Amino acid sequence: MSVEAKVKEIIVEQLGVNADEVTPDASFVEDLGADSLDQVELVMALEEAFKAEIPDEAAEKLKTVGDAVKYITDNCPNAE
Amino acid sequence: MIKELKPLCIGDIEIKVPIIQGAMGVKISTAPLVAAVANYGGAGTIASVGLAYGTKEKNIDYIKISAESMKSEIKKTRELTDGVFGVNVLFALSHYDELVRAAAEEKVDFIVSGAGLPLKLPELVENTSTKIIPIVSSDRAANIILKTWKRRYNRFPDAIIIEGPFAGGHIGFSEAELENAYETQLEDIVVDVLKIVREYETDYKISIPVIAAGGIFDGKDIARFLNLGAQGVQMATRFVATDECAVTSKFKELYIKASIDDVHIIKSPVGMPGRVIKTDFIDKIQSSPQRFICDYQCLKTCNPKTSPYCIAKALCNALDADFDNAVVFAGRNVYKIKEIIPVNVLMDSLVKDTIQELNSN
Repeated sequence: MSVEAKVKEIIVEQLGVNADEVTPDASFVEDLGADSLDQVELVMALEEAFKAEIPDEAAEKLKTVGDAVKYITDNCPNAE
Repeated sequence: MIKELKPLCIGDIEIKVPIIQGAMGVKISTAPLVAAVANYGGAGTIASVGLAYGTKEKNIDYIKISAESMKSEIKKTRELTDGVFGVNVLFALSHYDELVRAAAEEKVDFIVSGAGLPLKLPELVENTSTKIIPIVSSDRAANIILKTWKRRYNRFPDAIIIEGPFAGGHIGFSEAELENAYETQLEDIVVDVLKIVREYETDYKISIPVIAAGGIFDGKDIARFLNLGAQGVQMATRFVATDECAVTSKFKELYIKASIDDVHIIKSPVGMPGRVIKTDFIDKIQSSPQRFICDYQCLKTCNPKTSPYCIAKALCNALDADFDNAVVFAGRNVYKIKEIIPVNVLMDSLVKDTIQELNSN
């Protein structure tokens, strides 16, 4: 599974949204209805899935689906 | 028949009377009140926010002077008591790291931290004996903190405060959630959090006392949460109406006179709703934004250009009894307070009623 597909799958599961809403431009808060706890839980789920450590400062900058995919692609060597 | 309450033990700290006086800012829970509660055998909490207010110096280094003011309040408290006390540092503060480090340097017994998820708190108190106590309002938040602290720092909270929807000041619920809040919601959240905490306690052979807070008013309330498995309670609003609380008598009068209809929910630049006693200012901010000059952006979550008012200034105005321009925080049950009494009289009655209630079951 590509990084993008896996990230999307995790977002669908964590936020309880439809897969077709999870577009690269979709904002977690504004488009996908995430609250502050949702956002932290999502980052934790990404860390677990990609065996990565995402620092709080980086996590705060992940505003959209595209941001998350890019971050994982650029920073997680274990992502296949 | 029990004759006395079980002490609240947080690590090696023993709080004889399991009541923590919750932090109230700006400058409401300061040395005299904190020390009075600690002297009785409970635990007091200094609100670290805004202690530099009133400083005369110009062009001050806000972060430095905030930390210095907090340290001096800690020292003042220590002169008045040998009892247990700590400080509360809001996670939303821009200078959170500096204040936490300064409090740990002063060797306070504990640091309480809410208004956000204090995920990095353990690293700020590393190699100190200061206990760390997060405030949560849901089992989800408790789970995030437990999991993250364990994974990143191999550390656990020394206690957890669970604050329900009827607390005063900033509340960890959305406005919609507050509209649907129900009487026994805190009980349900305590039970949910205890479930997770018990798992950690069993798996890692540790003890994490749980402390209930938010709208707790009398011994009956306290007994209810002790029976559910909480080891203590945190109460704040009632301590405003004590002789020892350092606010003006006009401020205390607002508490005594408040009716249930005077208690409102407002939006705060902290990014959470706040529970207040209604003042003219509340109408003003709801109808038109109040322009203000910001010398230092004290909240990570505030944008001074778009915020409808300065929460720090509005809370400080309450200290000067300028209620037309003030936000006055209070818990939902403030309307039940009828008189101003000494801290030991309040504590005596809370303890007596709790014991009586526990024995009646």
